[in-house]
Amino acid sequence: MIRMRSSFAFILKYFLAISLIAATTAFLFFVLRGALNTPLVALLYLLPVGLTTALWGLGPGILSAVGAFLSFNYFFIQPYYTFQVRHTSDVFVLLVFLFVAVVISQLVGRAQAGLAAATAREREATQLYELSTALAGLQDDEAIACTIAEQIQVVSQAEHIEIEIRAKPPIQVNLPINISPSEQKPELVIPLLSARGQLGEIRIWRIHHSVSPAEKRLLQTFASQGALALERAQLAQVESRAKLLEDSDQLKSAILSSVSHELRTPLATIKASISSLRSGEVNWESSARADLLAAVDDETDRLNILVGNLLDMSRIEAGALKPQRQWNLLAEIIDGVLARMQHLTEQHRVETDVPDDLPLLPVDYVQMEQVFTNLISNSVKYAPLGSLIRISVRVRDEEAVLVKVSNQGPQVPPEHIEKIFDKFYRVTAADRVTGTGLGLSICKGIIQVHGGEIWAENLPDGFAFNFTLPRKWDGAPPPQLPVDPETT
Amino acid sequence: MTNQPHILVIDDEPQILRALRTILSEKGFEVTVANRGEEGLTLAAADPPDIIILDLGLPDMDGIEVCARLREWTQTPIIVLSVRDTERDKVAALDKGADDYLTKPFGIEELLARVRVALRHSTRTRGAQTSLVKAGPLTIDLAWHHVTRGGEDVKLTATEFKLLAYLAANRGRVLTHKSILTHVWDPADADHTEYLRVYMRQLRKKLEADPDRPQYILTEPGIGYRFIADEDAE
Repeated sequence: MIRMRSSFAFILKYFLAISLIAATTAFLFFVLRGALNTPLVALLYLLPVGLTTALWGLGPGILSAVGAFLSFNYFFIQPYYTFQVRHTSDVFVLLVFLFVAVVISQLVGRAQAGLAAATAREREATQLYELSTALAGLQDDEAIACTIAEQIQVVSQAEHIEIEIRAKPPIQVNLPINISPSEQKPELVIPLLSARGQLGEIRIWRIHHSVSPAEKRLLQTFASQGALALERAQLAQVESRAKLLEDSDQLKSAILSSVSHELRTPLATIKASISSLRSGEVNWESSARADLLAAVDDETDRLNILVGNLLDMSRIEAGALKPQRQWNLLAEIIDGVLARMQHLTEQHRVETDVPDDLPLLPVDYVQMEQVFTNLISNSVKYAPLGSLIRISVRVRDEEAVLVKVSNQGPQVPPEHIEKIFDKFYRVTAADRVTGTGLGLSICKGIIQVHGGEIWAENLPDGFAFNFTLPRKWDGAPPPQLPVDPETT
Repeated sequence: MTNQPHILVIDDEPQILRALRTILSEKGFEVTVANRGEEGLTLAAADPPDIIILDLGLPDMDGIEVCARLREWTQTPIIVLSVRDTERDKVAALDKGADDYLTKPFGIEELLARVRVALRHSTRTRGAQTSLVKAGPLTIDLAWHHVTRGGEDVKLTATEFKLLAYLAANRGRVLTHKSILTHVWDPADADHTEYLRVYMRQLRKKLEADPDRPQYILTEPGIGYRFIADEDAE
C-alpha cells in the first residue's frame, strides 16, 4: 500500500508540473495573446518553472522547463502551431529561455534539497537529543531498553521493534508490548556495541518501506547512545554491588567475632560440665552434680536463643520478615512473655500497666513476644538487681498505641542513644555484658515491619524503650465480635 | 503382646534417635526408629505403635504429608517435632491430624508429659468418657453444663461454656486456633482469632486465680491453646 501510494505521489508531482505549464499556456494564449511580445511571454513562462521546482523538486522542474520550452515554441513563436522557428532571433530567445529555465530550476532545486537536508539533520539532532535526555539517569537495563525502543518507534514508524540485552537473566523488550515474536527475518539488525563487547541487539521489522541509508545511520547512532547508557548502568550496578559486598563483609566479620565469642562461652561450660560428670570425679549424689547439670541446661537455652536471634537477623536482612498479623490482645502477649521469663526476671521487680479496655491490635503474636522478650532481657541485663522494670501501654491516639518498657538502669550517653538499635552495636565493652548486640536491632526490624516506630530515651531515674504500634490493619479498625447469648 | 507402650520415632537425625531410643527405653517404652518417611509409614502399618513421634523435616518427604497419610487409616496419636520458627508448619501438621508438637531443642520431661497426655487421650477416646474434669479448684461437668470454682458456681455465657468444654474434653492437648474456632463457632469463622483472644481473656478472668498468670488455660504462641487439668499437671 505504502509503496503504491509513494509512487502515486511521485507521478502526481510530474503531472502537476505538466498541468501548471498547460494552465500557464492557456492563460497566456487566451487572455494575454497579442498584448505581449515574445520576450515577455518567455519571462512569464519562467514563473511556473521556478514554482514547480520550489514546490516539487528538481525532476518536475526540468520537465516543466522542457514543457514550457515546447509550448512557448508551439503557441507563441511563428509559425504558430508548429515546432518550427522562422526568425533567427526567435531561435536565440528559445535557446536562452531553455537555458535560463533549466538553470533556475537547478538552482532552486538545489536550495530546496539543501533546506530539506538541513531540516532532516535538525530533526535527527532533536531526536538524538530526546533520546539522550530520556536515557539520562536511567539505571535499569530494562527501562533503558524500553526507552530506546520507544524512541526508535517514533523515528522509524516500524511495525515491530525487539531489543534483546545480554544480561543475567537476558532482557527482551518488544514494542508493541504484547506482540507475538515474529517468524520473519527482521528488516534491520543493529548491534548494541560498547567498549566491553556486544551488549545486545536491536531488531526492527518494517514491512512496507525499506530503510534508507540516512535512517540506518540515525538508528545506528541511537544504538550507540543506547549502548553507552547500558554500559553506564551496568558499571553503576557493579559499583553498588561492590559496595554491598564490602558492607556485608564488614557485617560478616562483626558477626564472626561476636558469634564465636557467644557460641564458645556456653559450649565451654557444657563441655566442662559434661566431661567432669563422665570422668566420674563428681559424686552422683552430690549437689555439685546438680549444679553442673543446671549449668548445661541453662547454657543450651542460651545457645538456642542465640541461634534464634541470628536466624531472625538474617531474615530481617533479607527482607523476609513478614508479620502474620492477627487481631491480638497485647496483655495476653505480655503476660505470656513474663510467665516464660519468670526465671530470668526473678531478681528484679516487674510491673505491668496495661489498660483493661485496650483495643485489639493487628500484630504477629510470636514476633511481638520476641520484641518484649528482647526488651525485657536487655533491661534485666543492665538494670541493677532489685530495681523496677515497668511495662506500660497507652492509647496514643486514633492511629497508634504507645508501649514503654522502662528500667532503672544506667543512662545511655546521647551520642549512643540513636545507635543502640544498630546491629552489633554496644555501649559497653563486649566482654563485660553477654549478648550479641542483635536483640535490639531485631526489635527494630519487627516494629518496622509492623508499621511502628521504636526509640530509646533517658529518664530522670533510668532508661526506657518506646515503640508505637498501629491500631488499624490496612485502614480497618478491629472487628466487632458476635453477640454472645447470656446464661448457660 | 507386650505391656510396654510401643513408640515409633521417625526422625533422620542419628543423634536425636540415639538419645530418644536410650531415654524412652529407660522409661519403659518399647522403641522402634525410622530414618525416612516411607520407612516410618511401612513400620507403622506392619507393627502398629501406640504413639508416633514424627520429625517434620525428613529427607524423603514432608512430615506434614506423613501425618496426612497416617491419618488416612489410623488414629494413633502423633507428636510432631520441629525446629523453632516454623509455627505455620506446626499448625499445618496439627490441622492435618497431629495431636501435639514439641519444638527442638526440647526438654525430655516435656516430651514425656506429651507422650503421657497422648496415651491418656487415646485410651479416653476408646473407653468411656468421664464427664467430670477437675483442674485445681475448678470442676467442669461436661454433661450437666456446670462449672464450679472452689465449690461455688461460675456463671458462663453459652459461648464461654462451649469453649471451655471443648478445651476440657481435650485436656492436655494443644488445640489450634482453627480447630477451636471451627468447633466452638463455625468453620466460616476459622480465621477470626480475635474471638479467641477476647473469649479466652473473659474465661481466664472467671476461672483463673490470677488471669495474668493463667494456670489452666495456657496460650501456645502462634499455635493455639492448651487446657491443663489435674491429671496432666505434673
